[in-house]
Amino acid sequence: MPRFWRRNRHWMTPALLLLPGLILFSLVILAASFETVWISLHDWDGIGAKTWVGLANYVELAEDPQFYVSLKNNIIWLLIFMLAPPIGLALALIVNQQIRGMRILKSLFFVPLVLATVTVGVVFGWVYDPTYGLLQLIFGLFGGTAPALLSDENFATLAVATAGLWPQIAFCMVLFLAGLNNLNEDLIGAGRVDGARGWQMLRHVVLPQLSQVGFIAIAVTVIGALRSFDMVAVMTTGGPYGSSTVLAYQMYEESIFSYRFGYGAAIATVLFVIMIAFIAWYLHGLIKAERSNA
Amino acid sequence: MAIDVTTLSTTRRRFLKGTGAALAASATSGLCLPALAQAQEITIISNLSNVGQRDILHRLAAEYEAKSGAKITINNMDHEAHKTAIRSYLVVGAPDICFWFSGNRMKAFVNKSLFDDISDLFARENYKSVLGATTNAVTVGDKQYGLPMGGLLWGLFYRKDVFAEHNWTPPKTWTDFLAFGDAAKSAGMVPMSMGTKELWPAGGWFDHMNLRINGLDKHIALMDGKVQYTDPMLTPVFDKWNDLIKAGFFSPNHSSFGWEQAGAALAQKKAAMMDLGGFVRSAFPEADIPQLAYAPFPEVATGVARYEDFSVNSVHVPTNAKNKQGARDFLAYFYKPENLGAFLAAEGAIPPRNDCPPSKDPLVNAAVEELKKVVGTSQYYDRDTDPDMAQEGMTGLQEFMVKPERRDQILERLEKTRKRIFG
Repeated sequence: MPRFWRRNRHWMTPALLLLPGLILFSLVILAASFETVWISLHDWDGIGAKTWVGLANYVELAEDPQFYVSLKNNIIWLLIFMLAPPIGLALALIVNQQIRGMRILKSLFFVPLVLATVTVGVVFGWVYDPTYGLLQLIFGLFGGTAPALLSDENFATLAVATAGLWPQIAFCMVLFLAGLNNLNEDLIGAGRVDGARGWQMLRHVVLPQLSQVGFIAIAVTVIGALRSFDMVAVMTTGGPYGSSTVLAYQMYEESIFSYRFGYGAAIATVLFVIMIAFIAWYLHGLIKAERSNA
Repeated sequence: MAIDVTTLSTTRRRFLKGTGAALAASATSGLCLPALAQAQEITIISNLSNVGQRDILHRLAAEYEAKSGAKITINNMDHEAHKTAIRSYLVVGAPDICFWFSGNRMKAFVNKSLFDDISDLFARENYKSVLGATTNAVTVGDKQYGLPMGGLLWGLFYRKDVFAEHNWTPPKTWTDFLAFGDAAKSAGMVPMSMGTKELWPAGGWFDHMNLRINGLDKHIALMDGKVQYTDPMLTPVFDKWNDLIKAGFFSPNHSSFGWEQAGAALAQKKAAMMDLGGFVRSAFPEADIPQLAYAPFPEVATGVARYEDFSVNSVHVPTNAKNKQGARDFLAYFYKPENLGAFLAAEGAIPPRNDCPPSKDPLVNAAVEELKKVVGTSQYYDRDTDPDMAQEGMTGLQEFMVKPERRDQILERLEKTRKRIFG
């Protein structure tokens, strides 16, 4: 036994350490994903017998106007969330200065990340409240009336996604702060010797070193935008009349409220495919970048 | 090492078993307990959000434990979360007793054989003689599948002091209603407080309009999917409703807030009336509750008999319950007039039994009196029709209230959904 162990431990130790995670991942993520695809091919109310319907759920989905509303809203989320990495980077650069009191400022920017997204949703719901909200108070100062953002089909998604953007910016800021701490001092020193300062230093010495972090920030942001659910659930419940639903929320609504698990699973599968496509593209880019570095 | 493995594994297995049983007992229902203990064990899953009711349920359980020697475990769940959880626990790990809603919501589980037929309990305790028409709410094909709990009578609520101050009386006819709206607006108030974030208040308004114009039978036919949403019978319903929307009857931006905020607007004298059940009282400060009064929804089309939404909650024994006999015995105790009366008084609901002690709540007594004048009752939009249809329907009704000009598109969409569900 000990000899066997000694001879094989170089591969067995990592294998054993990875095993629990692998088992959990295959059970909770992989198996569940496959089952979802399987369910999406059935008509099922969640309790009774599953009836095989083939691709009927997808055919219906293709004709469902609500599905396109959700898809469109997911794209709006994505576009708004794309603001998070640049704003996060800007904030990180600002709060990364060695100035007295900066630590407090840093922690203030960090606060939204500590809050649960549901809390952020509730708080922003108050901000948007057309009668007593902060927004109305601000408009009131100028003698105006704030628009009821969450009641307006044209603004609801923008308002909810903007609320979601807040913690996302903080998240990107933290990522970039970590990246800034890992900058190569030698390169910066060399840049100084060559006379690079301010913008030039940022553009040619700092930013290239942050490209990996930037890549991660964008990836996390895209996934965050695609799987947005909790903010919608808390702030609008997909309303008014379904105009602010996203794919994840529509899936939940179809499965839980309308008892159409097959149809919900079909929506989940579509969302899954979109994410897989994005992740494949992302990994492809990551590998390419690493190869060109090496 | 090898020698120890057997003993070690048995103790470990025993340990796991014991922990598992303890966990299951405390968390859900005591599934893993040995058969002997189950005979004395009754588990209940409650969805009561009212603290007073929960306290009374616990008190009754304790009294029953002392009396019978049974062990009762009550697991309280969040009301909304329970609506989704019940679908899984009825199949795997059912308790012995659970709370739910009668009518179509109950029927969905009865059709899947997930609720036990308790007609024997009805016969044994002679419930039919004291329940009267409420029996129908828990009956499917001549068999009873639950005990009706408190009923909620829906109608228009208002503040007595506000009405006295303006010299108003609750509107009785459609002409009165329109005139009342004008009066409320000139007094600087919203005539009808409305919050449609949770969708169902829009469904309730539709119920009232349809019951007052088309009557109960046609309304139920629509709920059962037998009438098209594009049927001309609905034209006057939406025409008249549209008149109210155009006349500014409802709270602006009502899709931004829920019924509780709408109820608060009524309490704060910003709105004149509100269409809801008696639980609107929970949006009122304790001191203002005596000012709250009930008035029936006004007549819309002349000559239509008075029908109302009267939704009934209920309590059930799941088919997969471990201790069905124990469940029946406890329910019989729980359902005694004085126990049930105390339980329902905490909620302000109308007792289904006619031998419960009279309520101290004038609002409940008023509703009981009103109920005697009602010719027939429906439950509520989302309880009367298929859940899938209800979700689509309430969304459409909310959209109609915001964009009445889209009526035709909305009704066509609902008709498409109706066809998909009911064929």
